[in-house]
Amino acid sequence: MTFFADFCIPFIVGTIIMFAAIAIKYFIWLRDLPKSDKILIIKGIFSPRIFTATWEVVRESLLHYRIFKVNPILGYMHMSLAFGWFLLISVGWIETIAYLGFKMIPLQGHVFFKYFAVLNNIEGHKPMFDFVMDFLLLFVLSGVSLAWLKRMRSRAMGMKKTTQLLTFDHIALSALWFVFPVRLLAESLTSAIYGGGSFLTGGFGSLLAAGISTDILQIFYEPIWWFYSFALGIFFVAMPFSRYMHIFTEIPLIFLRHFKLRPEAKEKSYDNFEVEACSRCGICIDPCQLQLQLGINDVQSVYFLRDRRKNRLQQKIANNCLMCGRCEQICPIGINLNTLRLNSRTSMRNIPNENRYKYLKNLDRSTGNGRVGYFAGCMTLLTPNTLSAMQRIFDAAREDVWWADKSGGVCCGRPLKLSGESDSAQKMIDYNKSLFNKHNITTLVTSCPICLRIFKEEYRLEGVEVLHHSEYILRLLEQGRLRVNYSTEQTFTYHDPCELGRGSGIYDEPRAVIEAIGKLLEPSHSRKNALCCGSSLANTAINDSQQLTIARNVAEDLDNAGADTIVTACPLCKKAITRGATHKVKDLSEIVAANIK
Amino acid sequence: MINFGFALNKPRTIDLNRNNLNKSKEVISEMPELQACIGCGSCTASCTASNLTEFNFRKVHTLVRRGEYQGAYEEMNKCMLCGKCRLVCPRGINTRGVVMLIKRKLGDF
Repeated sequence: MTFFADFCIPFIVGTIIMFAAIAIKYFIWLRDLPKSDKILIIKGIFSPRIFTATWEVVRESLLHYRIFKVNPILGYMHMSLAFGWFLLISVGWIETIAYLGFKMIPLQGHVFFKYFAVLNNIEGHKPMFDFVMDFLLLFVLSGVSLAWLKRMRSRAMGMKKTTQLLTFDHIALSALWFVFPVRLLAESLTSAIYGGGSFLTGGFGSLLAAGISTDILQIFYEPIWWFYSFALGIFFVAMPFSRYMHIFTEIPLIFLRHFKLRPEAKEKSYDNFEVEACSRCGICIDPCQLQLQLGINDVQSVYFLRDRRKNRLQQKIANNCLMCGRCEQICPIGINLNTLRLNSRTSMRNIPNENRYKYLKNLDRSTGNGRVGYFAGCMTLLTPNTLSAMQRIFDAAREDVWWADKSGGVCCGRPLKLSGESDSAQKMIDYNKSLFNKHNITTLVTSCPICLRIFKEEYRLEGVEVLHHSEYILRLLEQGRLRVNYSTEQTFTYHDPCELGRGSGIYDEPRAVIEAIGKLLEPSHSRKNALCCGSSLANTAINDSQQLTIARNVAEDLDNAGADTIVTACPLCKKAITRGATHKVKDLSEIVAANIK
Repeated sequence: MINFGFALNKPRTIDLNRNNLNKSKEVISEMPELQACIGCGSCTASCTASNLTEFNFRKVHTLVRRGEYQGAYEEMNKCMLCGKCRLVCPRGINTRGVVMLIKRKLGDF
């Protein structure tokens, strides 16, 4: 029995190149991992996490459960291609075993089994396998036709915009489109000449046999198998260099993630797994407000990752992002998009400078001496209504407060960190940290979600509880230390600040505070789906009128909720939304202070 | 005498013909909106860093535009990039972008 024919060469060469390229990539990425990550991997392999990871690989890499949740049609498309192809391969292996028993058969023998079955006159026709294989081929073909439809009319698939591709992506994509229709043709032709096949290849084969004479079909027989082999070979060669690298990268990524590897403030080898796991599906494009309101089409996460992978990332692309996190929470692969963008910025702009911020030495303008510290933050100092409201709330609750920065303080460091200068930001972090420790506070309240985020993530304040003012006020209300008037006459709508909601996971506390005062009406975008006000400190690229366009759009959404007052819990959001809203815009603390009993 | 914080500057001249304006032109071409500055000083009045040390954003970017680069990078490094200046600017200038641009043009990255 022979399992080799000349037409197999493109397939064999393609397969070897693909696996070699992938092996080299994995080897380099794993070799370059920092030692701590390597230890995590070794610990992870011998832990139960390996089972949960395996299950996630099945669920995500084959079934594409998360894409289903975002968009069922896209989910079906990805599932039929991935799971369908996987089943075609595995059922194909079972088929050869059923025919020939457990025997060493070269790879091409499995892939082109229909051809070799005829060539070697393998006896004992098994119609059940023909049916299953035909059914699976139809399943994959349905996915391919959806992929065609998506390229031509992405709107039909529920996507306003789909990704712009690169050359290698186009090559791989075209090859992939040909693989399955050509397989159908090749197998149908085989069935037309030699019989066999089920409803699909058999049916199509009888049609061909009825219309065209066997002599003519014979002429096309070898070339069509060549064509099939070429389509596979080209796809395999292009794969490691195109977006289809995600097929194999997602699998180790899921394992590494279960082993608790994460991207960090500085770029490291693990990032490669995240960057190349991006399939460029383009789901991140539609929620991006820069795209929706400003028509900026080249900065979204999919393009950022593409440029970073190709080592051609420019500062103007990296800097043009609100880091609102709307793409990150929808990404079906769960890539840490904001962390990756931040560490790219750090690589581009971080210059350690010992002399920076020397003027912070021996600086202490804090007042008061309570155990509860209040850090207003730069933005709250610029919105004095919030500051005085907080003062009234503290007075009403008879709280003894230590005011960290009432008469001028030092920035929390997050804006500088967002711009990529993380080593310099660390100087501010160290300064504020020593200030908090010096005054022995046990609770740190801030009314700025930007400060809150860095306090929680970077400061590592031991023995100090960090609270956003919404959490703190809710606690006062629950403890009965603060009592407010409730009236159904007052209606509020709440805007979720990015850094507080998606950034810190605080959605319910501000809502609970508002519901203690009046009626809460939700805008059309809220909670995880909330819009960014547009003034985000993370973006240093858009200009004022662009910020205003986004702010007006957000304000319109909030105005349409129909409440008397728009409430937010971030001084920066308040400033931005005020520019576009027709209703009053208030900080949470202001409405609380105005309704104290 | 009460110190009101004002002082007379030493007399000096800025010779635009002699100054090398290349960097200044680059800054302005990348951030043309900087020319809309009316020099009101709101940025400096609201500045977190100016509150703590002698840092004057208006002065630094004005000098840079006139080709007086000496010490500008070091001065700009005092900025904390907190962004209050951008919110108060009556001309809507992307001041944080200006800080980063000037540092990029005059620094070593």
